Amino acid sequence: MSPPPHPRPDLAPHPRPDMPHAVPLAAATRRRGQHPGPLWQLLSSAGFRFALLFAALFLLAGLAFTGVLWWGTAGALDRQIDAAIRADAMALAERWRDAGDQAVADAIGERLALDAENQTLYLLSAPSGQRLAGNLEALPQGFAPDVQWYGMSLERDGIPGEARLFVLPLPDGSRLAVGRDVEEKLRLRALLTEGLAWSAGVALLFAFAGAALLRRALERRLAPVTATAALIAGGDLSPRVPLSGREDEFEALGHSMNTMLDRIAHLMEGVRGVSDAIAHDLRTPIARARNRLEEALANADDPAALHSALERGIADLDNVTRVFQAVLRIAEVEAGARRAAFAPVDLVPLLEDAAELYGATAEENGQTLRTEWPAALPLTGDRDLLLQALANLLDNAVKFTPDGGSILLKAELLEDAIVVRVSDQGPGLSLEDRERVGERFFRADSSRNTPGSGLGLSLVRAVVQLHGGTLWFDEGHGESLDKPGLAVCFRLPLA
Amino acid sequence: MRILLVEDDAEVGRFVKKGLQEAGHTVEHVPNGREGLFMAASENFDLLVLDRMLPGGIDGVRLVETLRGQGNHTPVLFLSALAGVDERVKGLKAGGDDYLVKPFAFAELLARCEALGRRPAVDAPATRLKIADLELDLLSRTVTRGGKRIDVQPREFRLLEHLMRHAGQVVTRTMLLEKVWDYHFDPQTNVIDVHVSRLRQKLDKGFDKPLIHTVRNAGYMIRAEP
Amino acid sequence: MLHDAGMLPRLLLALSVMSAPSRVAFPAELRTLPQDLHYCQELVARLATLPAGVQQPARGLGEEGELLCRTGHIRTGIARLRRALRVAQGR
Repeated sequence: MSPPPHPRPDLAPHPRPDMPHAVPLAAATRRRGQHPGPLWQLLSSAGFRFALLFAALFLLAGLAFTGVLWWGTAGALDRQIDAAIRADAMALAERWRDAGDQAVADAIGERLALDAENQTLYLLSAPSGQRLAGNLEALPQGFAPDVQWYGMSLERDGIPGEARLFVLPLPDGSRLAVGRDVEEKLRLRALLTEGLAWSAGVALLFAFAGAALLRRALERRLAPVTATAALIAGGDLSPRVPLSGREDEFEALGHSMNTMLDRIAHLMEGVRGVSDAIAHDLRTPIARARNRLEEALANADDPAALHSALERGIADLDNVTRVFQAVLRIAEVEAGARRAAFAPVDLVPLLEDAAELYGATAEENGQTLRTEWPAALPLTGDRDLLLQALANLLDNAVKFTPDGGSILLKAELLEDAIVVRVSDQGPGLSLEDRERVGERFFRADSSRNTPGSGLGLSLVRAVVQLHGGTLWFDEGHGESLDKPGLAVCFRLPLA
Repeated sequence: MRILLVEDDAEVGRFVKKGLQEAGHTVEHVPNGREGLFMAASENFDLLVLDRMLPGGIDGVRLVETLRGQGNHTPVLFLSALAGVDERVKGLKAGGDDYLVKPFAFAELLARCEALGRRPAVDAPATRLKIADLELDLLSRTVTRGGKRIDVQPREFRLLEHLMRHAGQVVTRTMLLEKVWDYHFDPQTNVIDVHVSRLRQKLDKGFDKPLIHTVRNAGYMIRAEP
Repeated sequence: MLHDAGMLPRLLLALSVMSAPSRVAFPAELRTLPQDLHYCQELVARLATLPAGVQQPARGLGEEGELLCRTGHIRTGIARLRRALRVAQGR
């Protein structure tokens, strides 16, 4: 693609010819998503937001505190001054009613003469507006007859200040003004304001410092988790989050992450197991089927031979399917996905069904199937899987017990568990074989000639483990030394 | 029967269609759910055979749900490569009547198709089933042949009942395990055969005409004619 | 720190708004009479009428105030004379 003659300004700059096309584009997107600097990094951190929140709360609390303080000091001072002014004015008005203008003028003179702090303001003005007594030149500018209280700027001997003034109209139309210089209060207010501004600034500073600290602390505590996640994203499933031993939220996070990783690793192992199993045990029957079909092709002249070869080929393929299904079923059970289908179930009808299903076969072989269980064996589980497990065990027992022998199916209810025992009179298992049985496709040498996929016990073990139980092997009830028999037992917890 | 087959795999489709046609059925084959839904909704079929996973946005389960939502109760048999128990439950919950996992033996498919297509009417339950000189009384749960009472165990009675309800049709071993024992797993060995042969012995003892016939590579069938 | 600089004036503004309710009516200019020598003499005369005004310590304070007034320190003088008056009245 050749560049357009007049590149539009909103287009990305053209890549340098030595750079591949995708690189600058990707870099541009990354740059847009990237944080431009340390300030942005600080602002976008969760720790900073937490700290900011706390700073805001702190400031709010400070404001509330200041409000109360203000109300309690400056406010109280205000109210006190107002009360004093009012009381003074009332006393003077009383005197005016009793003794007239001159008495009030005398009283004002007296009060001023005693005012060592030089804070009081008085004015008695005649109805004409003429000043009769007091230290004020005139009524305040902008005086309105219906307004009694004034707060205003004051000039006292050329010095600016602030005054609070109460103007009381007297019945004859003269006015009495009583006031105070409130410069003190202003100073207090300024002091409070300044203090608050400083503390707000310091609080903000603390907020930023706290944000940085919190951010670093969070980062430090989360670093192992992030690092582990990065390693795992890189493809190595083995690392786990190192735990600090402190019992806090980060520990809980690390812990649950490790649990999750263990589970994932377990599932991965299961998948690997399935693929191993498929590779191991499906190749053989597939190869056999293939050989048989090839052979049939070579002997195509004989219709009878061809027919039987094809039939056996189909049977081989059916066997492949069966193994395949069994492997998948085991994987499904081991993954624990079926635990969702758990329901209350009584084991007794399942035992009865299994005994009935395989009893006929045993009878056909001249074997006797002896059964023993209590009236009810309630537990929570998957009915189909439990029956299949029982069926697999009985299937084995029937297969390995010699004609005329006996098989024992027994279940008992313990305090906290159900124990099931399937015992036969077959060749049994040597101790080292007992270790390996239950591995997929394991078949003892002595059983090479009996049909079966070798998956039966794997499924039983998976089902028992799915139900939180354990599986073990025991001596059977065989009567001869070379056929001691095998007992497969499992224990299912009730809770 | 007139059967609609919805299957996206051309080879499986051809194989099933050919087999069903050879068994005397009329088969329409469409390769995707959209066309399948159109056909099923606009024409009359005795049975639908649906692949569960279909291309074209409408899979088997959606198709059945849509049909059932429209009040169409044509029997449905699912074919599926999904073998999990939950998948089967999902298919049946959506309104499917039977579920067959791939790969399957054609005989199994045919037997299930015929069992579904000729299901006995639900609203008129029979109290007696009869085939040749064999009689089954569903109320007293007794079996007589040629007027002579035959003792069977409860499970054998259910086995016989199932065979007689589908007289003249092939019933496979897995169908028996599912319908008579109500279990869905592969028993690996010939446990069902043993039960059937025991029942057969009881029924045919003293009579020269066998009633339960083994159908090679498929299953069993009860019929009057040899 | 950029934030710091922006927040502080806003905070001060908020505080000054908060302290505003002490103004009841619109602001108006108010002015006191100038304190002059004449007022000093008035206070001295007032002190002389009081019986305690001629005794210590009121008398000393009064003389000090009068002197301050006369040398031009009117404000301080008046304050001193007023204190003398208070003392003379026994307050």
